Amino acid sequence: MKNEMIKIENLHKSFGQLEVLKGVNLTVSEGEVVVIIGPSGSGKSTLLRCINFLEEPTGGSITINGEKITNSQHPKINEIRREVGMVFQKFNLFPHMTVLQNLMLAPMKVRGINEEEAKETALKYLSKVGLAEKANVYPENLSGGQQQRVAIARALCMKPMALLFDEPTSALDPEMINEVLDVMKNLANEGMTMVVVTHEMGFAKEVGDRVLFVDGGNIQEEGNPNEIFDHPKTERMRAFLSKIL
Amino acid sequence: MDFDLITHSIPLLIQGTGVTLEITAVAVFIGMCIGCLMGIMRICNWKILRIIANVYIDCIRGTPLLVQIFIVYFALPAIIGARIEKFPAAVIACSINSGAYVAEIFRAGIQSIDAGQMEAGRSLGLTWWQTMRFIVLPQAFKRVIPPLGNEFIAMLKDSSLVSVIGFEELTRTGQLIISRTYASLEIWTCVALIYLFMVLVVARFVAKLEKRFETK
Repeated sequence: MKNEMIKIENLHKSFGQLEVLKGVNLTVSEGEVVVIIGPSGSGKSTLLRCINFLEEPTGGSITINGEKITNSQHPKINEIRREVGMVFQKFNLFPHMTVLQNLMLAPMKVRGINEEEAKETALKYLSKVGLAEKANVYPENLSGGQQQRVAIARALCMKPMALLFDEPTSALDPEMINEVLDVMKNLANEGMTMVVVTHEMGFAKEVGDRVLFVDGGNIQEEGNPNEIFDHPKTERMRAFLSKIL
Repeated sequence: MDFDLITHSIPLLIQGTGVTLEITAVAVFIGMCIGCLMGIMRICNWKILRIIANVYIDCIRGTPLLVQIFIVYFALPAIIGARIEKFPAAVIACSINSGAYVAEIFRAGIQSIDAGQMEAGRSLGLTWWQTMRFIVLPQAFKRVIPPLGNEFIAMLKDSSLVSVIGFEELTRTGQLIISRTYASLEIWTCVALIYLFMVLVVARFVAKLEKRFETK
């Protein structure tokens, strides 16, 4: 049995009267790629954002690498966050810094490593995502696909145990989606633990070790990609697939 | 118009102008320090700090600067049991006043930065304060330059109110000259033109500053 890296137990989240997550349970093992799919407003992004407490859960707990957390006031919250990288739909690069500075800031301030080492790491991951020549460029001068690749490199520079992807290709022009997905595929092949919320079913099939179908605030169906796409068990899943495929 | 009188008064008025600039610069500078602190406090996670900032901003913006000047110069000594000189009193009143307006400028500037920036910083393991300092504030500073320029201009003119405690800045200097010469028309016109000139220069400077930060 592989290491349990992320364990979500009975997770609830409400926005006022609206209950978005209704008691989700989920375990992600080391090296596993979990893909979360589901209709808009189903709570899949909220679920992902709860994992590193960008969203404050209303109930339940999340255990990351043995540390059990129930809210963002936990004293070790920053230590947990640095181990769990996040890639956002809208990239969220820091516009006032060059690409290199974007990559070096957190390793230096959070990990406390020196400038030289941070730069070396940054350049290494930048060439990994194929953008070594853009080190001294400001984010606004990059295409969407390039920005997202920089955002992935920025998360990697912290050497996280796991990466969360929140619809990483949804804000991209169609011709740029593949360059980002290719980077993600490479990471998956190298054994990175990943939780990916996406609408890219091709990616889910090809890369996912496990696919979760989330609807109505809970996991309706889960299994390996072939199982779930070819033989959906629930009516909801069938309805969802018929709409997108 | 008595042009001779104007020429004779100019050196004194220029001296007063210098004092006006001095008190405005010091007040806005201290006001910016207070305002930055209070602006951040207003949106931080600590409820007690938020309350302090809210009370400060409400009280200062809810009362006239003129009354605040009276309180600092006449009422405060009664409490602390010592006289306050005119210059410190004027600076204290103007700084505290300016701080409340600057706090709101900073708060709006910080809140205008996309929430995704804070999330990205936190997701990398930076603390709230580190994210504020390295990511949010540098972006917010650029956006608050125009409203800070307005605040400077407003303070330049409002500083004339400290003439009521006899502090000799530009307006008070004008008053004193008139009390000797009765040349209201000449002197008030001069005083008004000097204020106008200063404001126009500051406005041009702020516009330049804004442009410089824009291109980067």
